[in-house]
Amino acid sequence: MVDLSALTAAVEAGDRATAVAVTQEAIDAALPLQEILDAMTTAMTEVGRKFACNEGVYVPEMLISAHAMKEASALLEPLLAASGLRPEHTAVIGTVRGDLHDIGKNLVGMMLKGANFEVIDLGTNVAPEAFAEAAREHDADVVGISALLTTTMIGMKDAVVAIRSVDPGAKILVGGAPVTDEYAAEIGADGFARDAATAANVARELLAAAG
Amino acid sequence: MALAREAPDRCPMQISFTPEFAARMRVDLGARGLLDMDHGAGLNIARGGEHNPHGGGNTYELEQAIDSDLILTSVGWANSYYQGHGTYTDEWGVTWQEHPYETPFGTGHYTEMVGFPLAQDDAIDVYVPPDPNRPELYVDSERVIREFGDEYWIVGVTVTTIWETAWALRGYQRLLMDLVADPDLADRILEIPFRYHLAAAERLAGMSIDMLWTGDDIGSQKGMLMSPATWRRFLKPRMAELVGRVKAIRPDLLVAYHTDGDVREVIGDLIEIGIDVLNPVQPACMDPAELKRDFGDRLRFWGSIDEQKTLPFGTPDDVAAEIRLRLQTIGRGGGLILGPTHHVQLDTPLENFWAMVDTIRQTPY
Repeated sequence: MVDLSALTAAVEAGDRATAVAVTQEAIDAALPLQEILDAMTTAMTEVGRKFACNEGVYVPEMLISAHAMKEASALLEPLLAASGLRPEHTAVIGTVRGDLHDIGKNLVGMMLKGANFEVIDLGTNVAPEAFAEAAREHDADVVGISALLTTTMIGMKDAVVAIRSVDPGAKILVGGAPVTDEYAAEIGADGFARDAATAANVARELLAAAG
Repeated sequence: MALAREAPDRCPMQISFTPEFAARMRVDLGARGLLDMDHGAGLNIARGGEHNPHGGGNTYELEQAIDSDLILTSVGWANSYYQGHGTYTDEWGVTWQEHPYETPFGTGHYTEMVGFPLAQDDAIDVYVPPDPNRPELYVDSERVIREFGDEYWIVGVTVTTIWETAWALRGYQRLLMDLVADPDLADRILEIPFRYHLAAAERLAGMSIDMLWTGDDIGSQKGMLMSPATWRRFLKPRMAELVGRVKAIRPDLLVAYHTDGDVREVIGDLIEIGIDVLNPVQPACMDPAELKRDFGDRLRFWGSIDEQKTLPFGTPDDVAAEIRLRLQTIGRGGGLILGPTHHVQLDTPLENFWAMVDTIRQTPY
């Protein structure tokens, strides 16, 4: 009998090898795919909670947990796709034009995947038009924009305007070290998150409120 | 002297600049008659006329013109920042790419790392770092001490001491993961820049610098980048060794530790290993007044003027008010060198820059 709590524990601990091994066992034992996936998302939710609450999880620990989940879920993905189980929501993320910094954005992507979003990561130095085009093409529910520099965060406003013009229903989330709640409101974003774990929660809340 | 923790007549000041801000400031100083433009004052010839934010090769007319109290002279990997244009590879094998950004005051360029010589595991044990004992590395510091040592506080700069150079060699996300996924490998990588900057620090300590500036960015906007336990395992013992060895050479040498972000969890450890000065005290992450209250009897501070909001986006009055607040709180009774928390960036209006300089210079302390 495959114990999925071992998968949850492995992802929480960042133990890639065990996460992959238990996932394969679970697949071989024909456990419901959604249950296997849920065991991983439970782990990432807990990792995110600890990160946000400063309970022993820092960036390195988040990275190895996300890496463990990524490798384990790679085994599931083709099977999920084949059975028609898709993530309910799609998020497009990127770092704003002129800015090459990506670790915050990458962590947000990992946490959103961990929360069972489909994530389209546009990378860094993303022009407003590129955000808009990706939002439209993927019918994004959430668009996440990151900026680390005071010199580049100015461009977030252009990105918001561009996105709204093609995907008015998308929830726009902003973050990055110099970004604040007030700044997010000023540029017309729907939400602000001060760290990657909070970002996944805010994204879920914004979508729940939208109904 | 402020760093003796007694109250002086005016708070000591230290300000560094990005190359483009330095160029803009230079023109402004020339227009005010404070700089002799005809004789190339303020140009770093070794860098094709461009200012080095960490000091090496600068001629220091800019710092003198604004009445700065500290002069920086740098040895080590930090000199690779802003070292060239386009794409270049530094002597450690890190590849850099220049990247433009727009501000209301013109186009600036950051140099960003794009190629990492230790990205492959099997590159680590065969890697040969540059030699920190080359005499030519110290010629500029000798000049600085000779020319300015009597009137200025000379700071030997070996920042990016361990962690930052190490992740430049390996890749940022890679080394963060290595810390927890493969600690022995992480140790082997961290050892490389540590040995280099330790040698450089000892050499500088043997010259008559007044303060040694070390450090690595280990904090993020909220909380530390790595856990305190990780920092204590990998960086604390190495820093303790470095501080111990430079103070054995010069017992009166002050050692400053640079880290951005929120590092409250390890300030006690820094004091324990002999760090004298905490820099730059990013106020959006740690409350300067609280730091003074909690650590001011054992620690001095350097920095504290906000560059995320006040300097680039505030008014000159906001800048002046923040300086007065710092003088009353983190600077109360001395123990403070005032300055911005990073090199002044091109997006800082000149009016705000001068409000900062003038308020520091004119406020009795």
